[in-house]
Amino acid sequence: MSAVFTVDPGSGVPLYLQLIEQVKRAVALGTLGAGEQLPTVKALALDLTVNPNTVARAYRELERDKVIETSPGRGSFVRSEDGAADVRHAIEDVGASVLANAVREARSLGLERDTVRTLFERALERWFAGSGPEDK
Amino acid sequence: MKTITIEHLTKRYGEQSAVADLSLEIDEGSVCGLLGPNGSGKTTTFKCLLGLARPTSGTLAVHGAPVTPHTFETLAYVPERNTLYEWMMVFELFNLYKRTYKKYDAARAAELAALFKLDSRKRIERLSKGQQTAVALTLAFATRPDVLVLDEPASGLDPIFQRVVLDLIIDAAAGGATVLFSSHQIGQVERAADRVAIMKDGRLVLDGNVDTLKGEEKIVEAVFDGDAFAPNGLATDPRVRRIERNGRILRAYVRNDSADVVRRLEALGPKAISVYDLSLEDIFLGAVSDTAARNGEGI
Repeated sequence: MSAVFTVDPGSGVPLYLQLIEQVKRAVALGTLGAGEQLPTVKALALDLTVNPNTVARAYRELERDKVIETSPGRGSFVRSEDGAADVRHAIEDVGASVLANAVREARSLGLERDTVRTLFERALERWFAGSGPEDK
Repeated sequence: MKTITIEHLTKRYGEQSAVADLSLEIDEGSVCGLLGPNGSGKTTTFKCLLGLARPTSGTLAVHGAPVTPHTFETLAYVPERNTLYEWMMVFELFNLYKRTYKKYDAARAAELAALFKLDSRKRIERLSKGQQTAVALTLAFATRPDVLVLDEPASGLDPIFQRVVLDLIIDAAAGGATVLFSSHQIGQVERAADRVAIMKDGRLVLDGNVDTLKGEEKIVEAVFDGDAFAPNGLATDPRVRRIERNGRILRAYVRNDSADVVRRLEALGPKAISVYDLSLEDIFLGAVSDTAARNGEGI
């Protein structure tokens, strides 16, 4: 297995959503390549100590989102490259909502728009420093 | 398909009502965690389901029929208090089960006994409480049951063995078994269960899919300079299930769109406002808390 998944039951985020997001991220980042096989529902449930129905639900939704495909008796596999493009959009959605929350919290602390922008720029500098213009 | 069906169960001991009008259905292959404070009626519900206590009213069924001695061939029950033959040695008890249960899997029993580090030459009465629980669990899982009813299965076990119990439950569920278990530990239910039922004072106060319950609501928390108060109409807003106030902090449990509630609270000029996802603990505390300000109370 090239990708390792973890879940945090204590966080309020439903476990199946945590799994979906991690699989999508792994596909978008290329840790899980096209055609690569995912662990079986049972194996992953035991590995993470989570309910098998939770894993099955995550796989069903990933299949619906065309990220993976499941063939009976063979297992679940990552779909081809165009799947990865969809996934990248999904990741952007996640990023957008994370940033929206951060901005909302900053505003509720009484910070002005320009201060938030300055702080945002500073955070960008810090975390993207040296990673080049393409963020690679 | 429903494996366990409980309809309008009421159980009274004299004047005391232990369970009141409880209805619960559990699908095949589902793991249902039953949570509730001590004395909320969890064990009584199990006893009625298994025919060990006679319900005052209501019907209970496993696979569509009341439990009979015959049913126990495919059903395993691990009670909270041990009911093992204490004078037997561990291996003697295992042998007894081997002769009694058609589906008893001796290899599996040996595997689990090793996992729990059980000494098969010891008398049951000489084992610690946790080890006795481990024996009961080993026997329960070794009979390869279709239905498992576990009353506080991990109590008295150390954290490592607690994890083993969770693994066993998940393994059984992956194999298609239906599990109903009670627990004090919300974390266990959060991991192993896909379904949660919460009891309080003999009543079912909340029941649903764990992930759905978590996804349904958000907590909007606002901190004020002075005492917190809720804006007009917030308490009666259909999207707001509950409002809690504690000094300067106001918490609103909001369904669906929390952004509008955030905007309305922001208009009151709080010092800070945040939105949280709900954990099962929040859900549990929200369901059983006595001081729970129901919608509108005191506002």
